[in-house]
Amino acid sequence: MNRSNKRNQGTYLVDIDPAWKLVLDPENIFWGLLNKDDQGAYLPADFLHLYEQQKKQLDRQLADFRFTTELNSVYIDPTDRCNAHCPYCYIPQEIRKHGTQMSAGLLDEVLRKIKAYFKDSRKKPVIIFHAAEPFLVKELLFDAIRKYRTSFLFGIQTNATLLEKKDVDFMKAVRAGVGISLDAPAKALNNHLRSTGNGNGNYDAAMQALDWFDGYEGLSVITTVTRHNVTVLEELVRVLHAKKVSSLLLNPVRLTMKSAVSLKPDDTLFADNLIRAVETAMDLTEKTGRQIVVGNVANTILAIVAPAARRMMCDISPCGAGRTFLTVTANGDMLPCGEFIGFKEFSGGNISASSIGHALHSDAFKRVRERTVEMIDDCKTCVFRNICGAPCPAELHARGDMYQKARSCEFYKTMIRYAFQLIARDKVQYLLRSDAVRRMEYEYLYA
Amino acid sequence: MRTSKEVKRTHKDMHAPKKETPHIIAYRMKCARTANGLTHFVMYGDVPKQQMPL
Repeated sequence: MNRSNKRNQGTYLVDIDPAWKLVLDPENIFWGLLNKDDQGAYLPADFLHLYEQQKKQLDRQLADFRFTTELNSVYIDPTDRCNAHCPYCYIPQEIRKHGTQMSAGLLDEVLRKIKAYFKDSRKKPVIIFHAAEPFLVKELLFDAIRKYRTSFLFGIQTNATLLEKKDVDFMKAVRAGVGISLDAPAKALNNHLRSTGNGNGNYDAAMQALDWFDGYEGLSVITTVTRHNVTVLEELVRVLHAKKVSSLLLNPVRLTMKSAVSLKPDDTLFADNLIRAVETAMDLTEKTGRQIVVGNVANTILAIVAPAARRMMCDISPCGAGRTFLTVTANGDMLPCGEFIGFKEFSGGNISASSIGHALHSDAFKRVRERTVEMIDDCKTCVFRNICGAPCPAELHARGDMYQKARSCEFYKTMIRYAFQLIARDKVQYLLRSDAVRRMEYEYLYA
Repeated sequence: MRTSKEVKRTHKDMHAPKKETPHIIAYRMKCARTANGLTHFVMYGDVPKQQMPL
C-alpha cells in the first residue's frame, strides 16, 4: 500500500476484496468503490468530474478538521485512586493506590475555569469524569453536576462497583452520559480482568447497573480487548444487546504501561473476532429493530463517509489530545490526555496556577499536536493514513518514540478494508447510531 | 450524477444508490445539525434532552 498504487491526480487504487476495488485520495478521503465486474480500464468521466469538483473543498474540510477543530471536552479525574486492579491500566499502580483526591474547592475551581474558557462558545462543552474510579468521590461529582448542569453536558466513566439505584436515577434525570466498564460476558473472565481483589471483580455490579439503566440512551459499555477476552466479543455483543445496551466500545488495550504489552491480542485474531462481533451486532439490530452499535467500528465508518462528523478523536492525526479535549488530574495538572498521566513532561501546568488557554498553548501540548502521520515514515505513504491516524502517541511515547506507526497497524488496515466492504454491502444504516444518522445529509452522492 | 445542490437527502435515503449491481458507490455526508457535545464519550449524538425533574 504505497505510491505505486497511484492512479492520477492524488487518487490511489486499492484492492478491497474479490468484488470491490477502491479509488481513494488519502489527502481528503474522497473515495469511490468500483465493482470489479463492471469496471473497465477507465473511470467514468462524470466520476472524475465529481472528484475535480469536490477536491478543493474536501482538502480544506479535512485540513480544518485536523488542525483547527477547537477544544470541546474536558476529562476530569476527580480522584487518582481506584478500587480495581485491571492488569492493563495506564495509570501507574502507585498513583492508583495512594493518589490524590480532588477537594470540593478544587473541583469547583476547575469547573469555573473551564466555564470561563468557554464563555463565548455557542456549544456546551462536555465534562467527563474519568479514571481512576470517579465514584470514590460520588457526592463531590453529583454536587458539581447539580451546580453546573446548565453550563455543561456531563459524562461519567465507572466500573459500577459503587453505583446505587438512586445514582442511576440521578444520572438519568440529568441526562448524563454513562460508560460502564465490562470486559467479558462471563463472570470469571471479567473478574479476572476487572479485578477488585480477593477473586472478585465488577461483573455483578456492572450487570446490575445495566438492568437499572434499562436501555437508557446515554449508556455505553466500554471493553478493553486483550488476548484474554478477544475470542468472546461476539458473545459479549449478544449479552449486552439482551440488556438493551445500544452502544459498545471494543477498544484495543493501550500499551502505555509495560505490563500491558504482553496482553496485546494478535492483530489478525482481533480483527477476525471484531468483525464477527460487528456482524452479530448488525444482525441483531436488523432482526430486532433494537440497535446495538460497536462504537469504534462506527467511528471508522464515519471516518470514511463523514470524516468531519467522527466523534472519537483517537483515530485521527493529530489526535484529539491537547486539541479537542484535555485531562485535568486530581491534583489539578492539565494533560493532553489521561494516557499521559505517567509522563510529567507532558503537563501543561496546574490549573490552580494557570488556565485552560495556557495549557493549550504550552510546549507540552504542542508537542502532541505536532505529531502527524506525515512525519511517520511508515505512515506518510499509507493510503489509509487519515482514516487510521496511527494511534496512540502516549502509548508509542511509552514504547520509545511517538513517531512510529500504530502497534496494531495491521489490525487497523484490516478493519478499514472491512469498513469499505460494509459500505459496499449497504450496511451503514446499521452501523451508526440512529440519532447520529438522523442528523446527517449528503454533501454529494454519485448515482 | 447529482450533487447536494440538487438533492438534499437525509437519513431516510442514506443508503448507497439502489442499483442491482452498482458500478461505483461514492458519497460524502456531513452533520446537518451539529451535535452539541462532540466527544468520544457520548458517542455519535448527545443524550436526548427529555429532562426529568430532579
